[in-house]
Amino acid sequence: MNTTLASLHFAQAAEYLVPSLVHGAGLVLQTTLAGFFLATLAGVLIAVGRLFAWRPFRVMLYGFLEIIRGTPLLVQLVYIYYVVPLLLNLLAGMFGYKTDVQISPMAAGIAGLAINYGCYMSEVIRGGILSIDRGQTEASLCLGFGRFETLVRIILPQAFKSIVPALGNYLVMMIKDTSLLAYVAVNELLLRTQTFASQTFFTIEAYTYLALAYLILSVPLSHCVKLVEYKLSNSERQ
Amino acid sequence: MFNIFNLQKNYGTIEVLKNITMRIDDGEVVTIIGPSGSGKSTFLRCLNLLEVATAGRIFYNGTLLDQELDSKRLRREVGMVFQKFNLFPMFTVLKNVMYAPMHVNKLPRREAETLAYELLAKVGLTDRAGMYPSQLSGGQQQRVAIARALAMQPKMLLFDEPTSALDPELVGEVLQVMKKLRQDGMTMAIVTHEMGFAKDVSDHVVFMDKGYVVEEGQPQQIFNQPKEERTQQFLNRILLGV
Ligand SMILES: Nc1ncnc2c1ncn2[C@@H]1O[C@H](COP(=O)(O)OP(=O)(O)OP(=O)(O)O)[C@@H](O)[C@H]1O
Ligand SMILES: [Mg+2]
Repeated sequence: MNTTLASLHFAQAAEYLVPSLVHGAGLVLQTTLAGFFLATLAGVLIAVGRLFAWRPFRVMLYGFLEIIRGTPLLVQLVYIYYVVPLLLNLLAGMFGYKTDVQISPMAAGIAGLAINYGCYMSEVIRGGILSIDRGQTEASLCLGFGRFETLVRIILPQAFKSIVPALGNYLVMMIKDTSLLAYVAVNELLLRTQTFASQTFFTIEAYTYLALAYLILSVPLSHCVKLVEYKLSNSERQ
Repeated sequence: MFNIFNLQKNYGTIEVLKNITMRIDDGEVVTIIGPSGSGKSTFLRCLNLLEVATAGRIFYNGTLLDQELDSKRLRREVGMVFQKFNLFPMFTVLKNVMYAPMHVNKLPRREAETLAYELLAKVGLTDRAGMYPSQLSGGQQQRVAIARALAMQPKMLLFDEPTSALDPELVGEVLQVMKKLRQDGMTMAIVTHEMGFAKDVSDHVVFMDKGYVVEEGQPQQIFNQPKEERTQQFLNRILLGV
């Protein structure tokens, strides 16, 4: 088929695809929000574990980190979605139970994002914690706070303040990486576009709209991150 | 208040404190002087368990200190003021002072605030309550740090070179506050290089060198007729610059 500019049907494609993408964008935002929240939590736990936990546990965490950083996110997602349920069923079978565990696409997607990003973010968080002067910990301990309270009340808030820009970048990256969730059947933007394009052959139109959708999501967000960064660096000066 | 027997502290193979035996009585002001690296800070930090002694025993009001068991309780009663102030930069002056009373002693906000204002008045900084530490001079920050330590209503305060990070013209205001504390009967252990001040306020002066307590006694005796050669040399170096 000969495609000329005149034969493109942006208006027609938009009619069905845009509402669909708007739905998908809602899903993307939900996934990113949940994924980022859990990733931050995981990041803090891993960072704190690697800094203060019992030594063998620290080594285990480091091994886990190497595994996650050494494999692609896409492989991790597929593994969580397809392999982990099989492994769980196998394990249950070994104890004589017959189970049919399944993970929903969304749950697998969010878990994958949380674990993968949690690992990368833990390194940033760890650096943030280490950048806080030891004197802060000592002052807090000397006022009668325990080690855990000191970490939560005094150290983490200061650590986070200094790493907000770095974490913000991970947030923007995550929103784009949700496109990988198409491969575990999450009906996000890419999957919707693929389906639409294969049914209508509006390939150029469809994927152009897809790219635009991601731009509309990520550009304002990255500017928000910059704004927060600016506000914080200003309040630092007081 | 403190009874210390044969206190010893090693970092790896380095012996930083060697067999220190000392008493600090209620209401007493003890100053610890000595050259850099002689173990003064380490000694203070052993008293509130920021450092764990390698050997020896410390009794606090008759009870033997045992690292994890007592450290939190002990630190509520024995406050500390640092060379670098270590104020919490994300809190205002007021919040710095009222934070521990509220969250450690579970004082209601209203009471903690009243207490904080009283203490800020005592160190002459009521008008700075709403500012952040970074907006204050070093001397003001150190006075806030003293107010913050006092807010836990400690029975004793440890000072580790509280004026060493200050510009000379700001030293006086901090020493002034410490003199006031002395008049109030606060028990204090002070590491300092301010010899005039040490002579003025101490009941007891301890001279440390290379991990040993070389000499201790009343300020007149230590400063005017030191028995030990090393004390004499140190004082000459500091006071006369020879
Ligand atoms: N965490 C540590 N690890 C190893 N060595 C240490 C540590 N802390 C202190 N030291 C050593 O212990 C010795 C005593 O240190 P300390 O800080 O108690 O001396 P100081 O009398 O307070 O000196 P200054 O007047 O410089 O503050 C020094 O030689 C120092 O290098
Ligand atoms: Mg010192």
